[in-house]
Amino acid sequence: MQRRDFFKKLGTVVAVSAVAPMMSFAADEKKPKGPNEFSYEKAVEAITDGKGAKTSSKITLKVPEIAENGAVVPVSVTVDSPMSESDYVKAIHIFATKNNNSRCLAVHLTPANGKAMIATRVKLGGTQEVAALVEMSDGTFLTASQSVKVTIGGCG
Amino acid sequence: MEISRRDFMHIAAIFGLGAATSSMASSKTPAQISLKDIYDFKATGNFTLLHMCDIHAHIKPLYWREPSTLISAPNLVGTPGFLCGESFAKHYGLEPSSLDAYFDTHMDFEALAKKFGKMGGIAHMKTYLDHVRKERGKENVLFLDSGDTWQGTGVALKTGGEAIVKAQNYLGVDVMVGHWEFTYGKERVKELIEMLDAKFISQNVVGDDSFADDYEELIFEPYTIQERGGAKIGIIGQSFPFTSTANPKEFTEGWSFGLRLDTLQEYVNELRKEHKVDCVVVLSHDGFSVDQEVARQVHGIDFILSGHTHDPSPKPIVIDGTVIVIAGSHGKYVGRLDIDAKNGKVHGYEYKLVPIASNMIPADPAGVKLVDELYAPFATEFNEVLGKTKNTLYKRDTFFSTFDQLINDAIMDEMKCDLSFTPGYRWGTTVLAGEDILMDNVYEMCGITYPNVYTFELKGSKIATLLEDIADNVFNANPLYQQGGDMSRLGGVTYSIAVANKAGTRISKLMIGGKPIDLDKTYIVSSWGGNLQNAGDNLQKDKIRAVYDVTRDYIKRQKVVDVSNKGNVTLLDYECGCPTKGSRGC
Repeated sequence: MQRRDFFKKLGTVVAVSAVAPMMSFAADEKKPKGPNEFSYEKAVEAITDGKGAKTSSKITLKVPEIAENGAVVPVSVTVDSPMSESDYVKAIHIFATKNNNSRCLAVHLTPANGKAMIATRVKLGGTQEVAALVEMSDGTFLTASQSVKVTIGGCG
Repeated sequence: MEISRRDFMHIAAIFGLGAATSSMASSKTPAQISLKDIYDFKATGNFTLLHMCDIHAHIKPLYWREPSTLISAPNLVGTPGFLCGESFAKHYGLEPSSLDAYFDTHMDFEALAKKFGKMGGIAHMKTYLDHVRKERGKENVLFLDSGDTWQGTGVALKTGGEAIVKAQNYLGVDVMVGHWEFTYGKERVKELIEMLDAKFISQNVVGDDSFADDYEELIFEPYTIQERGGAKIGIIGQSFPFTSTANPKEFTEGWSFGLRLDTLQEYVNELRKEHKVDCVVVLSHDGFSVDQEVARQVHGIDFILSGHTHDPSPKPIVIDGTVIVIAGSHGKYVGRLDIDAKNGKVHGYEYKLVPIASNMIPADPAGVKLVDELYAPFATEFNEVLGKTKNTLYKRDTFFSTFDQLINDAIMDEMKCDLSFTPGYRWGTTVLAGEDILMDNVYEMCGITYPNVYTFELKGSKIATLLEDIADNVFNANPLYQQGGDMSRLGGVTYSIAVANKAGTRISKLMIGGKPIDLDKTYIVSSWGGNLQNAGDNLQKDKIRAVYDVTRDYIKRQKVVDVSNKGNVTLLDYECGCPTKGSRGC
């Protein structure tokens, strides 16, 4: 891969993360609807082209059971992959399954990334499942999810 | 009231205790029980870990009644961590009316309190600790503290925790972790650690402020390695994982907590592979049921010395090779764990939960002197008699306890609100029927660094959602999603609850002021000790006052308080407060 290509790809990654809004307060009617605005189920259907995804232990999804602050919940996704030309992770999507705009982040990868790992923070509107959807180079999709509790009060 | 022989046989038959074994004979009076019975222990191995947890700053002896209701999700009912009263006695084979039954359960509490007297106190605890140190050799003993030590009494509050650090130094604590400690604020915590002889360790507190030097760095040492009896002991610290949600965030701004089981596993591996320790101990404030889950998920831990949920567990539990113990609360117990470990392996152990029966274990004079000195500056305020109580005032139970009701009554009376919330903490005190209520007792119930009672408006729909949310913190079937407290106590409210229902559908027949809740109506709510005011509107700033002042004034006005033990919550899916395993009844 050329250095220029790499930066181009890197640019794409940054751009995608930057335009993926964590929350939008009002649906913009004029904007064409994409996976960011879909409900979780619809977004998965659109991204996987109706194929759906298989739950996989190859994905390590790290997210706290109980959020310390629902506005910034740390999430990291690592996929066990050789990241070789013939077998690599093409994309990782992170969902807050019950947020109005459920997709929080989409990152596209190439073998040049060397490791299929991303970490970010997402905003959760309430207690819900956080899910990772992973696109593999062979066109299959894997998924993993975990429930995160967003709570106002606790007890001592 | 003495239990007659016939009553005893009747109870024994119910519990199937005919062949119960206990180190204490059933109806021995204090005079008949010798120190030998309490100290009796089959010494084992090359070193001893002494353990206390959740003493909540009780440096003087107190009365402390264990819960008569301890309800959980059906899958957890009757398992250690969710045992009380009859089901506790049955599980552990306690004899009715024995010293153990008095310490471990609520059954016949008032009569047994008269018989056996107060519990705990550092002067009595020290006598026992020194007995073990003498028996085993000082160099073979470690004293570990699972936290919730610095907070819980007036003397702790007024000295910003310092009185209790002095008590820990006197007792000879070697290592500790924290939870309520953090409510003194980060800076004060650091000052107190400077004064503390013990090491303060935690692998699960990490810098969270990306502009600070400690971003993503550990705030405390994650573990310590101690040598005792020729063995290398690796001790990993686990502070309360949910400190930043259970207590106000501002105290720990910039620090992140959490269970952090992945790094816990890494430290276990590091201790074993790099440091070649003989024994891996996790000193924990996770809670008894959470630590059972930790033992399932993290491999290679020999012992977890647990805390937070205040369970007295006379026997250890073993999960996937990890032995878990927990030593009650309020200074009532010291856990003694003798371990045989060498060549990187634990070969055996022996455990006993030792009741610190302060009428039987003599006080160490130096401890009495220390306590007197620490209390002297506040004697006039703390010893003021505010009134009397007709019935026993206690704290604990899943939904309701009498001292909480008294606090709610005081808040409702002064704040003229529609309903009030009092937090479901598990620390506090017990005042026996007919006794004086001292200002010291009020601090023992609500002496916190954020004592304000806030009065504000909440919509009915929000109140209903909040209650469901709190219920799910208490009754979630997965211990990792619980926070280890009890339901918030409500004044002016009655409701029914089906604990086994799905989250969001547990509560029904919610009534405020005797009328069904109107989801669209705005109610005036008073609360303290939580974050509820952040969810409300139109905070009445002129009414803000410390809960201990509100409670003091109310008791003084009442002179004699009469709070019945008839709760305000109807439990729909269990027949009693202490159900046994696999059942909905007792």
